[in-house]
Amino acid sequence: MGSSSKRKKDKQKDFQKPKLKVGKTKAKPDNYTDTSFKSKSIVLTQQSLHLAAPTSNATFTHNLSLLSAKSDSQRRDSLAYLTTSISSRPVNSPLPQPVSVILPSLLPLILDGATSVRTQLLKLLRTLPPGDVEDHVAQLLPYVRAGMTHLAADIRSSAVEILSWMVEAAGESTVSCAGGWIKTLNCFLSVLGWHTEESSQWSSSRASFGKSGSQGKPMVKTLGALAMFLDAGIGKPSVDGVDSEMSGEDESPDWPFPLCQTAQHMISDSSTPFAYLNLFGKPRDEEGEMYETREDRYRVFSTRFQPAIERGIKSAREEGGELGRASSGVSKVLKEAIAYGPGP
Amino acid sequence: MVKRKLGALEKVEADLPNLQHKIRRDPKSYIEDFRAQHYQYESHREIYMAAPSSATDTGLISLRDLIDFISHVADCYPGICKDFPQQLIDMLMQHHLVLETELREKLVGSLVLLKKKDLLDSATLLHTLFPILISTPSKTLRALLFQKILSELRTANSKTTNHKLNRTMQTVLFNLVTSDRTSAKGLWAIKITRELWKRQIWTEAKAVEVMKEAALSQNEKVIIGGVRFFLGGDKEREELEDEDSEEEVNVGQVKHQLTINKKTRKKARTAEKAIKAVRNKERKKGNPSPLNFSALHLLHDPQGFAENMFFKHLQNGKSNLKLEQKLQVLQLVSRLVGLHKLHIMPLYSYFQKFLTPRQPSVTSFLASLAQASHDLVPPDVLEPLVQKIANEFVSEASAGEVATAGLNAIREICVRQPLAIEETLLQDLVMYKKSKDKGVMMASKGLLSLYRDVGAQMLKKRDRGKEAAMSLRAGERQERRYGEQAVGEIEGLELLAKWKDEERRKKNIENGLPSDAEDNEEENDEADWAAWNVEDDEDSDVDGEWINVEDDADIVLSDSEDEGKPASKKAKQEEEDKKEADKEIDFMKLATTRILTPADLAKLTELRAQAAANATLPGNKGRVAAPWTSRHTDDPLTAGEIEGLAALSAAKATREERIAHAREGKTDRSEHMSKEARRKERKEEQGKSTTNKEKARKKNFLMTLGKARSKNKRSLVETRAVLRAHVDRGKRGGRRGNVGQ
Repeated sequence: MGSSSKRKKDKQKDFQKPKLKVGKTKAKPDNYTDTSFKSKSIVLTQQSLHLAAPTSNATFTHNLSLLSAKSDSQRRDSLAYLTTSISSRPVNSPLPQPVSVILPSLLPLILDGATSVRTQLLKLLRTLPPGDVEDHVAQLLPYVRAGMTHLAADIRSSAVEILSWMVEAAGESTVSCAGGWIKTLNCFLSVLGWHTEESSQWSSSRASFGKSGSQGKPMVKTLGALAMFLDAGIGKPSVDGVDSEMSGEDESPDWPFPLCQTAQHMISDSSTPFAYLNLFGKPRDEEGEMYETREDRYRVFSTRFQPAIERGIKSAREEGGELGRASSGVSKVLKEAIAYGPGP
Repeated sequence: MVKRKLGALEKVEADLPNLQHKIRRDPKSYIEDFRAQHYQYESHREIYMAAPSSATDTGLISLRDLIDFISHVADCYPGICKDFPQQLIDMLMQHHLVLETELREKLVGSLVLLKKKDLLDSATLLHTLFPILISTPSKTLRALLFQKILSELRTANSKTTNHKLNRTMQTVLFNLVTSDRTSAKGLWAIKITRELWKRQIWTEAKAVEVMKEAALSQNEKVIIGGVRFFLGGDKEREELEDEDSEEEVNVGQVKHQLTINKKTRKKARTAEKAIKAVRNKERKKGNPSPLNFSALHLLHDPQGFAENMFFKHLQNGKSNLKLEQKLQVLQLVSRLVGLHKLHIMPLYSYFQKFLTPRQPSVTSFLASLAQASHDLVPPDVLEPLVQKIANEFVSEASAGEVATAGLNAIREICVRQPLAIEETLLQDLVMYKKSKDKGVMMASKGLLSLYRDVGAQMLKKRDRGKEAAMSLRAGERQERRYGEQAVGEIEGLELLAKWKDEERRKKNIENGLPSDAEDNEEENDEADWAAWNVEDDEDSDVDGEWINVEDDADIVLSDSEDEGKPASKKAKQEEEDKKEADKEIDFMKLATTRILTPADLAKLTELRAQAAANATLPGNKGRVAAPWTSRHTDDPLTAGEIEGLAALSAAKATREERIAHAREGKTDRSEHMSKEARRKERKEEQGKSTTNKEKARKKNFLMTLGKARSKNKRSLVETRAVLRAHVDRGKRGGRRGNVGQ
């Protein structure tokens, strides 16, 4: 309540009618905002306007660069575009960009927070030709392992899916690349919670942390992937494999009679034939070492992982249900491998 | 099945802080989760190390978060994390140039954290951080590393001195300075050493050695850093110590506040802390203070060092130091020469060319020269310098300031080496005591009084003064020869002897013996041995601030210059002098024939303090020790002292300067406030409330206006009622009334 004369006057002012005068501009209201501006120059951002539509190659590259966009729908859409453009290309024509260019921008998406992006990513990976993937497994694996041990369960399960795709596409190089055997198996154990005796028991309160996955049955999926992985690593070599291995010793159909063991002296098929020498990388420890032959892998497996995995399978079987059924797949692979022993 | 309710934090996809919290509470149950995160970290590290420079942010969790997480809980799983510190070290050491800043800082922070958790020893930590500190081009990282290294060294030395760590670190710093003398990297060694010296963590000769090497380097920044340390490091240390002791907490006040204010846990904690701090301080007070030698005293080979400095930075034509820097070097060299009585003969001829009034900052040169002279410098080296100063600076024609500076410089040189001046020159210079210029006059009088003390025979007869003339006549004062050393003595011993004498006399009087009688020594001795230890009450007496000051110090304003005194008095004086001479021998006997007990020593300090207090009384003006005798040998001589009272001789001081000068000795104006005002100020300072009266006085005028107006409008009846009520209230004794009484 304004009692002073000054305040009363102030109040009066609000209700006074503004006087308009002929020939003068109308007074500006109190809440008028001046939006005019002065500028010495106007800068137009560069535009690339073309009459012709961009080539498919250019859009492919553009979409590849959009993979690091902030919004996840944008990323997902770009991935979808890439998928369709790869899958719909004419048969036997090369990829719009080589895998070595595509892959670096795909890798971080394995750990992407959005589920839709990850599923789309898996679709894209599936369209890639398996032969090209083989050389880049070593790049892929660290990301997959990071995904497998991620705090978010969804990311874990999708990483397991990607791993099973990798085993399908390039099983041999997956298990034999640097760190591919021990480290990945470690990750499996940690995903399944089979590391210690205590934690592998079904009755133990599995104080698993983090958000449980929205897509159910991650354990089942993981067990399936493990079975495939073990099969690729220490499974009984298939007849084809034996054949190709033996081909050097037997007379080969490619090389006529006087040439023997010539295949060994030719340029190698694989892209990195001397990777095991590790000429340029840092010295590797036992876990990061390459285990190229089944024999090596089996030795490592039997000393480090066999007891833990057997224990885990046993408890999974006891749990029964879908999980028990999935575990039987693993135990079958394991049995075969053990029956085959350390090798011929 | 009922859908499980999710906690707010669990909804978040990747919540490392939450997991960290849970692990802290129950590490055993979450081992699997931790293991998964550790694998996660391993794979992220692998990804990162494959391309450290071009690493992209990987999704929800970055490597930085993982490192932070693992280093926080690493102590819960030592088995899993045993390689973790080494991995961090490798990452930092190999890639610190290309790592992104945040990750780099996180790495440093995590390493320090791991050290705190004892997963890493401090030597390794320092060996990791230090090389990066001196090699990284990033300023922020350097600042961070420097701070971390310092705090690490401080914590390592907080409980007990960690000699091993200190030694290794000092060796590293030493090697850094000596390995490449042209590089500026030695600056880091200087910074660290200086900081630790200031905080009294490093007080050994080895640290001084590092600085010595720095001062001898070829990079000017490093040189000046080292020189500055020697010139100011100790002062800095003392200042810091004073600061530390100044901050005092009033325990009583804290406790009192705790009873009044709202009781919170925080307040209780602060009070506890304050009490603890005070207790600690008290305990520290009891401890013997650590011996802290100044850096100049801890030098191993001062002669070699000073020579090296001189020939390398001053005499050497190739050295590209600026004048200012050269002056600092010169200051250090001359201080070393003066302090350790070194002999660097070329130093004095080096001064020759700088001793002209036109030389920039010549007073600093003069101060350095004075500092560099001591009683073992041959007089014939100093004589030409003194002569030159006198010729260049001191003449009737030269400005007052110049002459003052010259005279002061000559005096300072002669304090240290009285033989440096010729008789005729001295007598000439003393004549300036009649100068119109006050600065010159004072400086000249200073020189005069100095020579009355140390070489009265060089003065003209009429300048000698009473005391000097008489002692000359008695023949007890002789010219000090070159190289002659004074007999060592215990400071204040004559006071003790005198006191003992008095005590004995008192006792004798009590016993009814003649006051001069010698009592049997044995008894006396026994009594002394009984009082071997300082008794407690006596001790507290010494500790207390109270010192007896002569209250009847006779104020004699005798000018020592006037000579006409009655002959009879003179004779008496002579007799007294003789007696005094006897006494001198007597008190020396005290030191040579007896063992001084702690009680004696305590008494000695007390007597000394008393004597010092007496000396400052106005009555004892004549006996106040001359300024040059009160100087401690460690204190430097500054250019300001050489300029002396030049301010007085400067005729054209600005008005502001004059006002400032006039105001110098006066107390602050605010001290002349009324008692009431001062009380009010003090109250306000302490945050206490005001009285009702004060509140009424301060009340906003507009608030009182309404009442005042309404008072005007009261009717007669109303006014009467109010007045009556007032009288009534007065009778009752205020609003509340004196009901209870």
